[in-house]
Amino acid sequence: MTALERRGSLPPSLAALRPRRVELGLIFLIAVVVVAAYGLASLGQSSSVPANIGPFLAWMLGLFFFVHLAVRRFAPAADPVIVPMALLLNGLGYVMIARLGGDVDGGGDLAGLQSVWTAVGIGLFVATLILIPRARMLAQYRYLFGLGGIALLALPLVPGIGIELNGARIWVSIGPVNFQPGEFAKIALAIFFASYLVDAGELIKNRLELRDLVPIGAAWAASVGVMVLERDLGSSMLLFALFVVMMWMASGRTMFLGLGAAMFAAGGVVAFQLFSHVERRIDAWLNPWADPQDSGFQIIQATYSMAEGGLTGTGLGRGEPDRVPFAETDFIFAALGEELGLAGTAAVLMAFLVLIGSGLRIAIRATRPFEILLAVGLTTLVAVQAFIIMGGVVRLIPLTGITLPFVSYGGSALVSNYIVLALLVRLSHEQRVAATKEPTP
Amino acid sequence: MTARIRRLGAVFILLYAVLFVQLNRVQFVDAEDYRTHEGNIRPQLRAFGQERGDIITADGVVVAFSIPVEDSTIEFRRSYPTGERFAHVVGFQSFNQGAFGLEREYNDQLAGERLDQQFESLKDLFVERDTTGTVVMTMRDDVQQAAQEALGERRGSVVAIDPRTGGIVAMWTYPSFDPNPLAGLDGTLVNETYSALLDDPDDPLLAKAYREVFFPGSTFKLVTAAAAIDTADISLTSPVWPQANVYSPLPSGSDLRNFGGSTCGGDLREALRVSCNTTFAEIGAEWVGPDGMVRTAENFGFNAAVPIDLPNAARSNFPVDYGARLADVDHYRPTEGAEGDGPFLPNGDTPIHENSAILAQTSIGQNDVKATPLQMAMVAGAIANGGRMMEPHVVSEVRSSDGDVYDTVEPSLWRVATSPLAADLLQEAMINVAENGTARNLAVPGLVVGGKTGTAQLGTDPPNSHAWIVGFAGRPGEDAELAVAVIVEAQPGASEQTGGAVAAPIARAVIEAYFNG
Repeated sequence: MTALERRGSLPPSLAALRPRRVELGLIFLIAVVVVAAYGLASLGQSSSVPANIGPFLAWMLGLFFFVHLAVRRFAPAADPVIVPMALLLNGLGYVMIARLGGDVDGGGDLAGLQSVWTAVGIGLFVATLILIPRARMLAQYRYLFGLGGIALLALPLVPGIGIELNGARIWVSIGPVNFQPGEFAKIALAIFFASYLVDAGELIKNRLELRDLVPIGAAWAASVGVMVLERDLGSSMLLFALFVVMMWMASGRTMFLGLGAAMFAAGGVVAFQLFSHVERRIDAWLNPWADPQDSGFQIIQATYSMAEGGLTGTGLGRGEPDRVPFAETDFIFAALGEELGLAGTAAVLMAFLVLIGSGLRIAIRATRPFEILLAVGLTTLVAVQAFIIMGGVVRLIPLTGITLPFVSYGGSALVSNYIVLALLVRLSHEQRVAATKEPTP
Repeated sequence: MTARIRRLGAVFILLYAVLFVQLNRVQFVDAEDYRTHEGNIRPQLRAFGQERGDIITADGVVVAFSIPVEDSTIEFRRSYPTGERFAHVVGFQSFNQGAFGLEREYNDQLAGERLDQQFESLKDLFVERDTTGTVVMTMRDDVQQAAQEALGERRGSVVAIDPRTGGIVAMWTYPSFDPNPLAGLDGTLVNETYSALLDDPDDPLLAKAYREVFFPGSTFKLVTAAAAIDTADISLTSPVWPQANVYSPLPSGSDLRNFGGSTCGGDLREALRVSCNTTFAEIGAEWVGPDGMVRTAENFGFNAAVPIDLPNAARSNFPVDYGARLADVDHYRPTEGAEGDGPFLPNGDTPIHENSAILAQTSIGQNDVKATPLQMAMVAGAIANGGRMMEPHVVSEVRSSDGDVYDTVEPSLWRVATSPLAADLLQEAMINVAENGTARNLAVPGLVVGGKTGTAQLGTDPPNSHAWIVGFAGRPGEDAELAVAVIVEAQPGASEQTGGAVAAPIARAVIEAYFNG
């Protein structure tokens, strides 16, 4: 099997499916869609074909093709739709960021940075595939990941390097580098939990003692700590959902779901009463029009923006999504909703559902508990994070400042999501190769 | 674990389904509510922030255009280089206060939002798309400027109209206002400027030329004269009324006197030349009668909405109720010294009504007769145009940015005000007034000019009055090209002013600007 991976060839039964050829076809379609969107956004804004459409085309197609070659070389059996869905989301997000930057021609500062981050993310995607030829290697370093995850989570609290931006203390500034360690902490913690629960899960499954509640208690404490100390409601919800889902997955005890929900609700109620920022978010969710100029401003503007889009949108470059604060990051879903309409937001939902479906299919087909749990954890990260921010923007749940995976502007978020993607691709490859090795009856 | 993974998958699908339902609610079901939500300024911003076409005068002067705004979410604002000169007609587009004037009436064309304009833009998808329309006015900047300068800082209005088409050439009211601050980006400043203009007792925001009514005074005698010719078989030369200095109305009422207590009379031409109150009071009350006066006034546009392409035009008024008729037609009055309530017999061939005394007053433009300056210009214009009164308008066409014509305003008949015969006779009489009568200050060498003055007395203690002139001008041997009306409003505390002395020179300046421009 090792030799097979290195050669990049496929077992005969998979070769007939030609997953990489399917992937290449999908990537080509998506490249056409993204380049067309880029051109339309420029036409909509300045009535001219963007001057840099050539270089942009080459850059995006180059990156897309590079990803494809890397997968073909290092994980040739992987599911062919995972990477194209991520590239579609990334590409649409990039077009919107460039368009929000004011002029697509110049690309704007954020768009330029985002294209660099895309390249870095894809670089780390490839590096992850190379460095981790077998997913179960990760289990060996479980406590490194566990402690590293907690350390990353707490890093913004360290005086001197942690900084508070827009009310949340989730940034770290070391020298010229600013990043959100929480984006990487969630991956480390997903790995840690997968490996820890492989053993612990079996125990919890059979008997329930007080000390078995210690891990979930610790997880709860960490989540509430993030919410209270860093004022990051979104990451808090995401981490807690991750913990609870993985505990349930490993143990099969449905009570963890109920217990988790109850504990999180209790923590939320206490936080609501003790901390004004939680109360503000809840108030703004329940009735944003009570304070339309201040706490309700963002969500109201997002609602107007999406309503303006209607079914088919104003057209790329022809709306005013920049009226919503943080349109490039937290509210990029609203920006897509305004200019691409319900058709566009539904397409984004579908892309995430396809990605989630692929992730869960990997988990179902995987044979070893660690791989199963890791696939579930990573899929849960993407699914829940996307749901939290989209649900917040459409006022289904309280709004939290969290990025939309692959779509929002942001270096840490983009890079960490490409690492998640690489791990899923690795798991997918292993599972599909393993499947073909099973003796046929 | 497979069962749990499937269940997790079901939960995710459920979560995203709920998300999709909520998206449908925001973007489809309730979208219209949100789009029109109070506090959603996107529609206004869209209207205000986008580039709009120019508004230009007939002689090519740009009076409104969009200028790009740096460093603002609003990309364009409107600029009005001629300031207050066209403010009452062009209006302004203000973020806080909305749009007024042509900026409002022609909003869709200026913004390029009409279907035909949008369709034009579809044809050239990949080139610079500018669907904005240019609105071309019938008004001329040089004539408007002449009106502005001639009126000076006296409250009043000037209207000049092409009687052949109804196209308004000049329409000026003093005081006016500068629309530029109202189109500014500083909302607080805009609101303060607007409130200050609203609170100004002189009402500079009000386009009095077409939105305010005044006593027309003797200029209304043109309508009475038309009624006399059309309904009472009176010609310019017959009958001849005796010289008088007082008219005692039937059946009873306050006496009417001539201006300055003078004595006058004679035929219709002479009565018009000297603007003889006593004669016209008798013509209206005893020769034409209520039906003819009301019908003729309404033919001339009184008591009706003026079909002008500007908002909120005022309706001019001529009273319609003169009570029941009192006696059959006869040509006798009660003899000198006769007693009691015996039959009241008119001099003319029309029966006396209960309120014939009021009819005597309305026939000379008093009592409740009220007219806009635009209305009186249209009266002069109808006479100059053979009795045909055209729909007044200030816009001649809408062009695309590259000069194609989207819309042309075709001249359109509003109503037949009077017969061609009456129009001919009145033209002749008005030319006589300008040559030999009260409107001598109107005459311009080389042009055929006719006029009629008016001095609408508002009070005698202290004496004050509106000074009016209406008239027309044309080249010899051709149809009149211009009809004008000028009112210089009564100045509080100023001494009595007459139309001939005060208003006629202003109208003459406008006529000279038009024909020399």
